[in-house]
Amino acid sequence: MIGGLFVYNHKGEVLISRVYRDDIGRNAVDAFRVNVIHARQQVRSPVTNIARTSFFHIKRANIWMAAVTKQNVNAAMVFEFMLKVIDVMQSYFGKISEENIKNNFVLIYELLDEILDFGYPQNTDTGVLKTFITQQGIKSQTKEEQAQITSQVTGQIGWRREGIKYRRNELFLDVLEYVNLLMSPQGQVLSAHVAGKVVMKSYLSGMPECKFGINDKIVMEAKGKGMTTEDPARSGKPVVVIDDCQFHQCVKLSKFETEHSISFIPPDGEFELMRYRTTKDISLPFRVIPLVREVGRTKMEVKVVLKSNFKQSLLGQKIEVKIPTPLNTSGVQLICLKGKAKYKASENAIVWKIKRMAGLKETQLSAEIELLETDTKKKWTRPPISMNFEVPFAPSGFKVRYLKVFESKLNYSDHDVIKWVRYIGRSGLYETRC
Amino acid sequence: MPAVRGDGMRGLAVFISDIRNCKSKEAEIKRINKELANIRSKFKGDKTLDGYQKKKYVCKLLFIFLLGHDIDFGHMEAVNLLSSNKYSEKQIGYLFISVLVNTRSDLINLINQSIKNDLQSRNPIHVNLALQCIANIGSKEMAEVFGHDIPKLLVSGDTMDVVKQSAALCLLRLFRTSQEIIPGGEWTSRIIHLLNDQHMGVVTAATSLIDALVKKNPDEYKGCISLAVSRLSRIVTASYTDLQDYTYYFVPAPWLSVKLLRLLQNYPPPDDPGVRGRLIECLETILNKAQEPPKSKKVQHSNAKNAVLFEAISLIIHMDTEPNLLVRACNQLGQFLSNRETNLRYLALESMCLLATSEFSHDAVKKHQEVVILSMKMEKDVSVRQQAVDLLYAMCDKTNAEEIVQEMLNYLETADYSIREEMVLKVAILAEKYATDYTWYVDVILNLIRIAGDYVSEEVWYRVIQIVINRDDVQGYAAKTVFEALQAPACHENMVKVGGYILGEFGNLIAGDQRSSPSVQFQLLHSKYHLCSPMTRALLLSTYIKFVNLFPEIKTQIQEVFKQHSNLRSADAELQQRASEYLQLSIIASHDMLATVLEEMPVFPERESSILAVLKKKKPGRVPENEIREHKSPVPGSTANHQEERSAAKTVSANASTDLLGLSTPPAAPTAGNTGVLVDMLGELYTSGSPQPHANNVAAQNAYNPAKFVCKNNGVLFENDLIQIGVKSEFRQNLGRITLFYGNKTSTALQNFSAAVTNPTGCIGKLNVQSKKVDPTVEAGAQVQQMVNGECVFDYPDAPSLTVTFTCNGTPQKLSLRLPLTVNKFFEPTEMTGEVFFARWKNLSGNEQRSQKIFKATQPMDNTAIRTKLIGFGMQLLDGIDPNPENFVCAGIVHTSKQQIGCLLRLEPNKQAQVSDLLQCRCFFILLRVNVCETLSGTGH
Repeated sequence: MIGGLFVYNHKGEVLISRVYRDDIGRNAVDAFRVNVIHARQQVRSPVTNIARTSFFHIKRANIWMAAVTKQNVNAAMVFEFMLKVIDVMQSYFGKISEENIKNNFVLIYELLDEILDFGYPQNTDTGVLKTFITQQGIKSQTKEEQAQITSQVTGQIGWRREGIKYRRNELFLDVLEYVNLLMSPQGQVLSAHVAGKVVMKSYLSGMPECKFGINDKIVMEAKGKGMTTEDPARSGKPVVVIDDCQFHQCVKLSKFETEHSISFIPPDGEFELMRYRTTKDISLPFRVIPLVREVGRTKMEVKVVLKSNFKQSLLGQKIEVKIPTPLNTSGVQLICLKGKAKYKASENAIVWKIKRMAGLKETQLSAEIELLETDTKKKWTRPPISMNFEVPFAPSGFKVRYLKVFESKLNYSDHDVIKWVRYIGRSGLYETRC
Repeated sequence: MPAVRGDGMRGLAVFISDIRNCKSKEAEIKRINKELANIRSKFKGDKTLDGYQKKKYVCKLLFIFLLGHDIDFGHMEAVNLLSSNKYSEKQIGYLFISVLVNTRSDLINLINQSIKNDLQSRNPIHVNLALQCIANIGSKEMAEVFGHDIPKLLVSGDTMDVVKQSAALCLLRLFRTSQEIIPGGEWTSRIIHLLNDQHMGVVTAATSLIDALVKKNPDEYKGCISLAVSRLSRIVTASYTDLQDYTYYFVPAPWLSVKLLRLLQNYPPPDDPGVRGRLIECLETILNKAQEPPKSKKVQHSNAKNAVLFEAISLIIHMDTEPNLLVRACNQLGQFLSNRETNLRYLALESMCLLATSEFSHDAVKKHQEVVILSMKMEKDVSVRQQAVDLLYAMCDKTNAEEIVQEMLNYLETADYSIREEMVLKVAILAEKYATDYTWYVDVILNLIRIAGDYVSEEVWYRVIQIVINRDDVQGYAAKTVFEALQAPACHENMVKVGGYILGEFGNLIAGDQRSSPSVQFQLLHSKYHLCSPMTRALLLSTYIKFVNLFPEIKTQIQEVFKQHSNLRSADAELQQRASEYLQLSIIASHDMLATVLEEMPVFPERESSILAVLKKKKPGRVPENEIREHKSPVPGSTANHQEERSAAKTVSANASTDLLGLSTPPAAPTAGNTGVLVDMLGELYTSGSPQPHANNVAAQNAYNPAKFVCKNNGVLFENDLIQIGVKSEFRQNLGRITLFYGNKTSTALQNFSAAVTNPTGCIGKLNVQSKKVDPTVEAGAQVQQMVNGECVFDYPDAPSLTVTFTCNGTPQKLSLRLPLTVNKFFEPTEMTGEVFFARWKNLSGNEQRSQKIFKATQPMDNTAIRTKLIGFGMQLLDGIDPNPENFVCAGIVHTSKQQIGCLLRLEPNKQAQVSDLLQCRCFFILLRVNVCETLSGTGH
């Protein structure tokens, strides 16, 4: 029961304002601006309570989006909805920016009318929305087309229309993972988890039914019992322990619950098939070993060793290590064996960039930081060293075992479909304390 | 982009414009971080920076600080800038220091050194910068370090005027942080003489300083009055061409004039007739000038002119001695009432409020009543309307009360919500105060409840009930009126409360009429019952039981109602209980008994209207006094003088009596001047107290004689012209209860009133004394009580003392008295026969059981007087026991909580000699014996 939805630019000017319920007054718009956007101290909580009204906000670039309610709503639902709104807008007009929002405000209001009704979220699937909310102006559709849209939107499979034809049946599967890590200076893992998703692009004819298999522990164990008594983990085939996962609406959940198999009729084009989270047996692609020495009050020495920890044949990319410097840094001298390092004053950090790095390698950076004496007695609270990277494997051990396509009516079989699978492991919040 | 001049800092301009162009907060923070790193590396770098660069970076740091970021470096560079010789560099250095340096910093010594150097500099601009910095920081430490130099700068002959100006203001700032900074003695006159300075700027700055000093120490700076007056008269008589630089839109030195007029308001009107005449002349000139046509149409001209005028009027009001001026001021303000400027109307109303309380101008203010009423009704601005209401309240008296109350009632219907409650209180107070005819009063209050029921506080309707009950001539009328008012289809709950109460008491007075027969009255009230809150319902139930008494014919009807509400149907426990109890009462009790129980309420004791207290509490300082001030010369600390005078009158009675003899002619002539103080005080005493034929008696009345209370339990313990303390005591066995009555004899409230009983050290553990707290305020003419409980644990030597402190008219007063709680109070008289007495008397013949005293009688001996005293002393006087009929013999037992001590006493007057008595007391305890002897001989018959 969202009461209203507002979009602001970075100055706090209202770009979009849509109120769904009477309990939200016009002053709510100003309340959020005054108490959150223009707040003296930065508001870090995404949920703010002002005068018995809850404001949920997210920020994309310089754009603020806030959902308002006076009721006790499911906060996760509200955020999910807002992210969905962003997705929808992106698929309609690309990047979310003040310019784009101003140019498309009519469209946005139309979308908002459609996807939220009296504060209750409705169908937010882009594919469906695009069938009846178009950007091409008014084009009178034939009766048949209209009937088809109606039957699709109200029918059982709302996400795919009939009669799609491709000359080449192709399937792209991306496994995208974000590794999050917090490590102590001694190399002890304090917390680590992987948030992953499977993104699919399907260009298939007809109404194909797909079956997707992964190396999920439960499935593998069930299988292993059937064939051997051996523990599947020890049998050499790695399994992944999935903590929790969620699926696109096309996945038949009843089948997943009974047989633990993922079967679905895919929407046409790109969509996110599933999302999951793992916390066990994560292979950390990089290790950062910091060494900080304070030499007197005006000097400091920092040495950072970076080790790659994956197969030698693979290449890590876009590696960037960010080493925070004290607030009274007056000068930095740097030596690094690989890549480029630079002191960025605007961020109060040394940024060390390496384009490529193979597995099982080691490199290091040493820095000499000069400090200016200040009159504050406050000690510098050493923030952790953070890093970014991209590696061509899934750090959780997630594996696609198969993806089968069945289309009974049309004449093509599983073998005729060209399938592409790709693994990408990226850094989430990957930090090491120093 | 600002134009880059030779001295303009380009880097700073670029930086600021960068920041202004930042799209988001993050971008701004990044830019600032970058700049901070740059400045750090510059400050750290090996190259020494020149003054310009330092100035530029310090400026940037200041700018960053003002954007809300912490700055923790750069102080050293700023301090370096202080020693630069360039004005702009020095200025930036001082700016940084005054904004950013905390006083605990280690650099403070360096900074102080720089400031010291600059203070001694020949360049006045540098001195000024240093003074500004001191004033900006204004810390205690600064005051200590420079407290010596600045006064010197201020009065020295060879400092420039601009420096003097700054020095005066700097000193003012330091004076506010630490009061000790201003040296006394010879400096006083030198500072005062700054008022004579040639330079108007210096005078303006000095006036502010002197004003602050005068507030702290009015007597020391008394000399400034005549100087201020002459300075003022020079300005006022000057034409606008005379004071070239200090003329503001054709008004000569308006700021200085205002400040001087304020300064003069700290003092009573000057004594010296010359000075006084000159001041009055000035004020007249200012009033005259207000009449002249404006020299300019600009708003600044009229603003400046009016500022001076209003300040002059406040001074006139403050002096309160010149009827002529007061009336003129009032007329002038009257013109403003219809001015177009809202602010002017507001100020005029505000000043008029004060004028209305002066006896001279009260009538003059009343002339404007029409306009004020009009402005209450028509004014657009609510604050002006509020002010108009205040003024109407202040100018109300017997002659115009009816009209004003009527107008306020009319206006109340449409009045702004924010001022309604206050208006209701004011109407209620005025109606009560000036009611000549109480039917009118009842009408007004009922109207008030009808119009603005929600805003009528409890006190207002309590008060109307009190008055109706106390005045039997309006009771019938009130009953009739409330009955009519209750017939309205929708009436306010407060109306129901008043109606319920009054009908319950006096419903019988209108029961004769068919239209308001008992059952009609009851039905009418009961029809409102269900719409009311539990509190009102409870009140109505009481009314019903009263009806049972008044009108037995509707008893069954009422019992029915009680029955209904005595069960679970009324959820409120209080209501249920009341209903059941009343029901039983009406069933069981006989008619006579009912008549006794439910008798008419007794008359309420008269006291100050509770409404007035509410109004005072609600708006402290905003309530204009409705009373016309008594004519008193407002000498600060005048009451302190009273006390001195009093003691003088007591000790040197001859002196006092001459004074007083001169006053036995009616002293009321309100002559002005300080000498009037004593006249007033004694004059008041003379007329208000009981007729005192001799001046001596006045002094005697002031005195207090603790010995008197040895033999007396009740009476006036102490009395002077401010307060009367009465005492009433009861004793039973070893317990005593003393009730003290504090009566305020003045016409103002006694503030911070406290009375503490302290037990002398010798009595701790022997006498327990407990006293209750008293209210901190004793209203004018009111009396408060204090109970003191005493328990005698063991024989004790001394009576406890009582310390009474309070503030009267702003002057603290302290009285130390002896509480009449001597050991003899715990005596119980004992009858015994002659044989028993002498048997015991002889038993106690040992030296350590006997004490004897011979003393001189202060008054002629009289047998009956001695008898009364001895009986009052507490022992039993045994007649016909002693062989010598002239002797007195007494016996008694002192009750202490530990034991009972018998005591025998014999008094042998020596009538022939008329000089000495022999007092012999025999008892086991030395202390008691001596004690008895001392106290009794102290009374000296």
